[in-house]
Amino acid sequence: MAKKTYDLLFKLLLIGDSGVGKTCILFRFSDDAFTTTFISTIGIDFKIKTVELQGKKIKLQIWDTAGQERFHTITTSYYRGAMGIMLVYDITNEKSFENIVKWLRNINEHANEDVEKMILGNKCDMDDKRVVGKSRGEGIAREHNISFLETSAKANINIEKAFTDLTLSILNKTPGREPTDVPEKINIDRKSDRLSNRCC
Amino acid sequence: MELSAIMKDKLNAGDNVVALHEGVLLQGWSPKAHRLLALVERNLSFGLFVFTTSRNPPQAFTDLTINFVVPIDSDFKCDIDSLSAESNSDIYINLSARNFKLFMGMDSGHETNHFFNELSRSMDLYLKNQQTLDFQWLKKYNINDIDLELGLMMNINGDNTSNNIITANMAVAENDISFPTGTQTLSSRESVIQRQMILSEEQYTNAQNFRIYIGTWNVNGQPTLSSLNDWLTCDSEPPDIYAIGFQELDLSKEAFLFNDSPREEEWLQAVTKSLNSKGNYKKVSLVRLVGMMLIVFVKNKHMDHVKNVATDTVGTGIMGKLGNKGGVAVRMDFHNTSLCFVNTHLAAHVEEYERRNQDYQNICSRMVFSNFIPPKTVKDHNQVYWFGDLNYRITEMDAISVKDLVRKNNFKNVLEADQLKQQHRAGNVFKGYKEGSINFLPTYKYDPGTNDWDSSEKNRAPAWCDRILWRGNSIKQLAYRSHPNLLISDHKPVSALFESEVRVVDLTKYRKIHEHIMKKLDKAENEYLPQVMVDNTEIIFHNVKFMEPQLKELTVANTGQVPVQFEFIKKLDDSTYCKEWLRIEPFMSFIDPGEKCDITLEVLIDKKSAYKMISGQDKLYDILVLHLDGGKDIFITVTGNYERSCFGCSLETLCYLKVPIKNIPFGKLMELENNKSNMTSDPYPVPKEVWYLVDHLYRHGLKQEHLFEHSGLRSEFVQIRNWLDNGTPDALPGSVHSVAEALLILLDSTSEPIIPYNLHATCLSAVSYYSQCKQIISQLPERSKNVFLYLCAFLQELLNHVNDNKLDVKTIASVFGEIFIRDPPRSRSDKSGHTRTSMSRKKTNFVYHFLVNDQSDLIINTSF
Ligand SMILES: Nc1nc2c(ncn2[C@@H]2O[C@H](COP(=O)(O)OP(=O)(O)O)[C@@H](O)[C@H]2O)c(=O)[nH]1
Ligand SMILES: [Mg+2]
Repeated sequence: MAKKTYDLLFKLLLIGDSGVGKTCILFRFSDDAFTTTFISTIGIDFKIKTVELQGKKIKLQIWDTAGQERFHTITTSYYRGAMGIMLVYDITNEKSFENIVKWLRNINEHANEDVEKMILGNKCDMDDKRVVGKSRGEGIAREHNISFLETSAKANINIEKAFTDLTLSILNKTPGREPTDVPEKINIDRKSDRLSNRCC
Repeated sequence: MELSAIMKDKLNAGDNVVALHEGVLLQGWSPKAHRLLALVERNLSFGLFVFTTSRNPPQAFTDLTINFVVPIDSDFKCDIDSLSAESNSDIYINLSARNFKLFMGMDSGHETNHFFNELSRSMDLYLKNQQTLDFQWLKKYNINDIDLELGLMMNINGDNTSNNIITANMAVAENDISFPTGTQTLSSRESVIQRQMILSEEQYTNAQNFRIYIGTWNVNGQPTLSSLNDWLTCDSEPPDIYAIGFQELDLSKEAFLFNDSPREEEWLQAVTKSLNSKGNYKKVSLVRLVGMMLIVFVKNKHMDHVKNVATDTVGTGIMGKLGNKGGVAVRMDFHNTSLCFVNTHLAAHVEEYERRNQDYQNICSRMVFSNFIPPKTVKDHNQVYWFGDLNYRITEMDAISVKDLVRKNNFKNVLEADQLKQQHRAGNVFKGYKEGSINFLPTYKYDPGTNDWDSSEKNRAPAWCDRILWRGNSIKQLAYRSHPNLLISDHKPVSALFESEVRVVDLTKYRKIHEHIMKKLDKAENEYLPQVMVDNTEIIFHNVKFMEPQLKELTVANTGQVPVQFEFIKKLDDSTYCKEWLRIEPFMSFIDPGEKCDITLEVLIDKKSAYKMISGQDKLYDILVLHLDGGKDIFITVTGNYERSCFGCSLETLCYLKVPIKNIPFGKLMELENNKSNMTSDPYPVPKEVWYLVDHLYRHGLKQEHLFEHSGLRSEFVQIRNWLDNGTPDALPGSVHSVAEALLILLDSTSEPIIPYNLHATCLSAVSYYSQCKQIISQLPERSKNVFLYLCAFLQELLNHVNDNKLDVKTIASVFGEIFIRDPPRSRSDKSGHTRTSMSRKKTNFVYHFLVNDQSDLIINTSF
C-alpha cells in the first residue's frame, strides 16, 4: 500500500472579464459538469480539489473571482497569497482578450512576484463565433513568457491539463519543499507538531 | 407502503427483516446524519444492515442505499450508553465489529428497546449455534458506495484496527484555509482516506492462502542442538511464514537480571540453519525478554509485503514485572492483513491455573504497540497466533491414570481434565481463540535426554503445557503436533501449520478506489463549505435626505450543510467595514443550516457626511464584503441618490444661491463647493437660509424663554429643511425652538466652521484681549465674517430682552462658541476632560466679547 508522505496546499486564482467562463472552468474541473445558465459571480468563492502529481498529493484551493468592472479594486486584494493565476478570456469576445493586458498589469501590481501565470482562451468549442485567433493568444503569452492553452469548459477541452500544468509549474519551483521519504517502517514520532504549525 | 415492506423489496429473497430502527450518526461532519438500522436474519444467522435514505420517509426500495453489512458473530459488540445522556432522553449506542465502529444516538423509547432486545437475542443465538452458522448470504450484498459519514465517524472514534501510522514530515502547507468544523485538517483527511480504504478492502483485495508455521519449545536453559530439522522442517512444503517461540532459553542470573544472553545468538543460528531449505527466508524480527524469545521469518519473496513491524514484551513475573514469566510479541502487516504472534510463558505450578489466567489477561492489556495512533493491542489484529508454555496442567486425575490413558492414545479423556480446555470453555481465558484437537502425547515432563516421564519423586501427571491457539477468520489448521525426538529439554517442542487467508491488494483496483474516495472527499469538502444565499446584492436607497434615516433589509439564508458564521469585513486599506453614513445590524452573526438572518442597513446622512456628499468627496456608494468564516465572500453593493440640501453646503456657496437649492443642478453645486465656478452675479452678504432663520427668530422668538437651550422636534426640522431647500411660498413652519435648532445644525454642518480650523489656536490664545479677537474676526473670509457679525448682532438683540426670555449671556456664548469654533472631526476624544473644559471656557470667552461689546467699528468695514 503506497503510504502518503507529503501534502501540499496550493492556492490558485481565476481572473478575467465577466462572462468569459471562469466559474464554468472551475465547475468543470471540480465537479466534472457544465451548465449553460449564467449566474454572475458576485464575490469570491473557492472550491477544493485534490490531485496527485509526481507522487505527491496536492490540495488545490481554487478561487473564482467576480469579473465585473466595479469589483476590480476589491478583487485585487485577493491576489496576495495566490501561487498560481489563470487569466481567462473568451475567444468569441475581442474585448475580453484586449483586457488580458489590463489583468496582467493588475497581477504585476498586486500579486506575489513569483506567482505562476497561465493564459486560457476559453470557449474554443465555438469556432464559428471565434474572433480571437489562436495565434494572437499564443503571441501575447509568448510576449509575457507565460504558458497558454485554448480551453472549453463546455466540451471539456484542456481543462484538466490547464490545472495540471499550472500546478506542476508551481510544484517544480518549490525545491525547498522537497519531501524526505519516510521509511515504510514505523516512525516513532508520534506527536508530530503539524497541528500547531498550521496557521489559518 | 410500510417501511419493513419497502425494506423487504431491497433485500434478497429469503432474508427476513427482524427489526428496524432509525438513528443519528454522532460527531460526523454534518449536524444530522440519519441512518436506518435493520436486523436481518437468514437460517438463524443475523446481520446488521446500515442504510441511508434518499427520501424521508422512504417510499420505495430505490430510496434506500445499503452502506454497510456486518455479521452478528463473535466480533460483534454492542454497548448502550445511557449514562452519557445528560439533558435529553437520547441514548448512545456503540456498535463494533471487524473494521467497523458505529456511534449512534437514538431516542429512548419503546421502539429502541425493541430493536436492542432483538439485537441481543440475535447475539445470544449466535453463541448457541455458532458452529452451524453460515454467513455467506451476507456477501451477496454488494456495498459499492462508501459511506463517508461512517468513515468519518470511525475516524473520530479512533478505531484500532486501522493502519493509522503517523508519518513524519507531513509539511502541510495549510496556510489560509480554515474548515468549518475546525478539526478537519489534511492529516485527518488522510486518516479518513485510510479508514475508507479499509472499509472497502473487499473491493480491491483478493483472498490468498499462505502457510504459517508456528513452533514453541521450552528448552529448559539447555544449550542448543546442532539440528532442529525434526521440528522445523517436518513438512515437505516450505511455509511462507515461520514464527518460533522459546521459553527458558537461558536460566542464568545474567539473563534474568540484565536480559543479556549468549544463548540468543546460538539459538538464532540453529533455527536459521534448520528452516526448510526449499525456501529462502529472511528474518523479520527477533524479540526476547529473559528466557522468552520469538523469531519471525518470512520467505524472501514476500518481504516487500511485510510492513509496520513492531514488537513488545510484557513481564508478569515477581511483582508483575520481571521477565522470567510473561510474553513477547511481534506484529506486522502482511499484504493487507495484520498478524500478531504472541509467545508467552505463563505462571507455573499445578494448581495455579488462575494465576495463568491472570497472566493472560495481563499480557492482553499490557502488550501494546505504541508506535501506532491509536496504539494497537493484540486484539487489534486480523489474525493472532498465541503460543508458548502456557503451563496448564491436568488436575482431577492422578498421574498413574494419565500415563496409562495416554499410552493407549486415549487423549480425549485426559483432555477433559486439562485446565486450559476447562478454563477456555468456561470463558475465563482465550476468549475468541480456537485450538485444534490434540493428538499427541503430553509435552511435559520428561527426564531430559529421554522420552521417559519425569522420574523425580514429585511424580506429577504429564501435561500439555505447550500449546498453540489462534484467533481470526479463515484460518485452517493443517497440523498440530509435538516433536518427541528432540530430547534435550524436559519439554517437547510443539508446532502447528496453518493455511491462512490473507488479503492481497490488487493495485489497479486499489488505485481506482483510492481515486474514487479522494473524489468523494473533495466533493464532501466542497459541499461542507459554508453556503449562503443573499436575497439582494444591490441595495438601492432612493432619495436619501439630510438627517432622515432610511432602512433596508437584507436576508442571508444558510443554504449549506454546516453552521455559518458571517461577518462584514474591511476591504483593502479601509479602516472600517462600511462608510460612516451606513450602519449594519448585525454586522456579524451565526446562522444554522436552513435558518435565516435578517440584516438591517441604515443610511443616515448627517452633519458629518452631508458636506462630503455635496462637495463630491463622497457619494452614496459602498461595496460591502460579506465574509463567511472558512468560505466565500459576497460583495454587496449599496447605492442611492442623495437629495441636495443647504445643510452641508459652505456659507460661501449658499451666498451665491439666489434660488432654492432644489433648483440648482448637482454639478453646479459641486463646482461652487470646490471654488471652480466663476459666478458672475453678486453673492448675498449672508446666506438667505441664515437670514430666513434668524429673521424668523427675530420676529417670533425674542421673548421666548430657553431659546437655543431647548431642542426642537425632528418632524419640524424635516419641514424646515424642506421649506429651505424647496422654497415654498408658505410661512416657515415649526416652533421657534425647532427653527433655532435648524440654525445651529445649518452652521454645524459646513465642512469648515465659521472660524476656520487653522485659526482656532490663535483664537484661543487671544481670548483675554478683545482687540486681538476683533483682529482675527476682521481677517475672516468675507462671508464667514458677515455671518459671524450678523449672528452676534442678532444675539445682542436677543440679550436685550433678558427680562422676557431669561437668557443668560454666558450660556448663549457657550452654545455659539462651540458652533463658531467647532472642533475638527474626531479631535474631541483625543483630548483629556480637563483640556476640553478649558477649551470650552476659552471659546465661551471669545464669543462673550462680541456679545457684550459694541462692534459698529467692525460692521462699518464690511459691505453689509
Ligand atoms: N460555448 C461555451 N460556453 C461557455 C464556456 N464556458 C462558459 N460558457 C458560458 O459562458 C457564460 C459565462 O460563464 P461563467 O463561467 O459564468 O463566466 P464567468 O463570469 O467568467 O465566471 C455561461 O453562460 C456559460 O454557459 C465554454 O467553454 N463554451
Ligand atoms: Mg463567474
